[in-house]
Amino acid sequence: MISTTTIIQSILSGLLEGVNYALYCLGLAFVFGIMRIINMAHGEFLVLGGYIAYWLLIKWGLNPLLSLPLAAAFAAGASFLSYRVFLQRIRTTAELNTLILTFGIGIFLSNLYLQLWSADLRNIGVHWMENPLQFGGIYISLGEIATFAVSFAGVLVLHFFLRRSKMGKAIRITAIDRDAAALAGIDVERIDLLAFSIGGLLAGLGGPLLGALSFVSPGTGIAITIKAFILTVLAGVGSIPGLIVAGMILGVGEAMTVTFITSSYRELFGFVLFLVILLVRPSGLFGKRI
Amino acid sequence: MKFHLSFRSSEKMIAVITFAVVLSLPFILSFNPYYLSIFVSALILGSTSLAWNLLAGGCGQVSFGHAAFFGIGAYASALLVMKAGWNPFLAMLVAAILGVLGALIIGIPAFRLRGPYFALSILGFAEVMKLLTSNLTRLTEGSKGIFNIPSLPPIRLGGISLEFYLSRTTNYYFAAALMFGIYLIIYLLRHSNTGLAMSTVRGDEETAAGIGVPVFRTKVIALTVSAFCTALMGAFYAHYVHFLSPDSAFDGYWSVMPIVGSLFGGIGTLIGPSIGALVITGLDEFIFKRFFETGHKLFFGLLLAVVIVWAPVGLLGKWMRKK
Repeated sequence: MISTTTIIQSILSGLLEGVNYALYCLGLAFVFGIMRIINMAHGEFLVLGGYIAYWLLIKWGLNPLLSLPLAAAFAAGASFLSYRVFLQRIRTTAELNTLILTFGIGIFLSNLYLQLWSADLRNIGVHWMENPLQFGGIYISLGEIATFAVSFAGVLVLHFFLRRSKMGKAIRITAIDRDAAALAGIDVERIDLLAFSIGGLLAGLGGPLLGALSFVSPGTGIAITIKAFILTVLAGVGSIPGLIVAGMILGVGEAMTVTFITSSYRELFGFVLFLVILLVRPSGLFGKRI
Repeated sequence: MKFHLSFRSSEKMIAVITFAVVLSLPFILSFNPYYLSIFVSALILGSTSLAWNLLAGGCGQVSFGHAAFFGIGAYASALLVMKAGWNPFLAMLVAAILGVLGALIIGIPAFRLRGPYFALSILGFAEVMKLLTSNLTRLTEGSKGIFNIPSLPPIRLGGISLEFYLSRTTNYYFAAALMFGIYLIIYLLRHSNTGLAMSTVRGDEETAAGIGVPVFRTKVIALTVSAFCTALMGAFYAHYVHFLSPDSAFDGYWSVMPIVGSLFGGIGTLIGPSIGALVITGLDEFIFKRFFETGHKLFFGLLLAVVIVWAPVGLLGKWMRKK
């Protein structure tokens, strides 16, 4: 028999984990919402951030939360280069091309990681993050709280950047009407480059968090890309705050699957949810806004 | 990308030459079992690439998860033979039909939307199929895998008996025959009215819908035929290697390599993908693996990126354009 405490415990963990999911998929959702490009290498950019944090921890004992800026910078750099060298040249051609191109970049990166750093699963945990806080029989680790705070802040910052800053407004207007934006004097080519690089930066932020909570490996990337797409569709394309709600639904659903069925079917929940959303409400929970 | 599928005689000539080369390859190079095993995997890949390109080159839809169909075909055929005692040839056929079932499960929800939804849904579908195969241990033995899958039974032609169990040569020529069969199916489909509808969908979906082409149905047909051919090759693979695990049958390799082969060979041609796959397998086996033993697949990613940006028509496409 499963006790009420266990259920509350797993709901709570699911909610906290769900906000991290929102951060993991933020880059993909952002790039898709703004540029209509699905970045199939999204997960690989995230994993790159994770490896950066791993090396900083091994070499200098740096806390994964402190390595966030550098992880984000590296992923943004990889993203910037991918756009400048490849993507820019086929930006305006058929959608199929950008999909295959970014998929190819993802394969290149994941196998590069495999060659450089082997297939080992790398955990970036530090000791204090595993210390639990207790509230009447329910445990939360400090790591869960810390990553939750970072993820939540990440989503909020992006949201307000898009709503309030001049550059954010330029990005949004370019997404809504490219030609009008160009006529208004916005350099749309630069906006594209900027948006794609921001997508990489956001992905890079997720890496250290994922590594601290579980692990990163060369194979992690593609799983993250799938999860990110599921969340983007669930939230509705273009809805940034909706990602938090969608992430929480996925997080709690997965936690419930683990509690009531078995942990092996954890990943199944997201996919079934995805198929249901495609059939019932393809615009997602909060769709059709940019 | 813009390309025109031209049913010029030059392409038919190339197809004839390709199959002639395939038939004579063991004579030219070697009947050495090691080389033959590379040739057989090249043919399996060549056939799957043809099938993958029916969707992409034919209909403009990218699949990142053909491993799903390959694995379904492999497991279904192996289990039908081992648990139900079916004749392997019949099991292969039924396994291919089960691949079609898988195609309907994923195609019907995903094709309702345009854009990248299908490409990513099917990637997720392949992961889920791998997950299910790993966990339904009573049926599939889980991640331990299935050992000692029987070979195809010998084919008797007059007085000669073609043994699959002992002879790699038989397997090689059977794989070549399968590839030819799949080429024929795709050739006929692309030259039919449905094939014409597919080309319109590839060109512009809205225009296609506007002139009365049933877009959704056309895509589903392309997917089911593609899945049938892929699952058939998966089934052959099971009886050829005698061992399956979720990681081998649903390996990302079966999703990625048909894309690389098709892009490299020429997505706008009919026979190009198989040539691309044959060449790529050779390059991988004899060159890439010498450079990076563990990460040799990074070349495929690089190749995809370079081809799509600088040579989107592929090798064969380029050559045919010059003529």
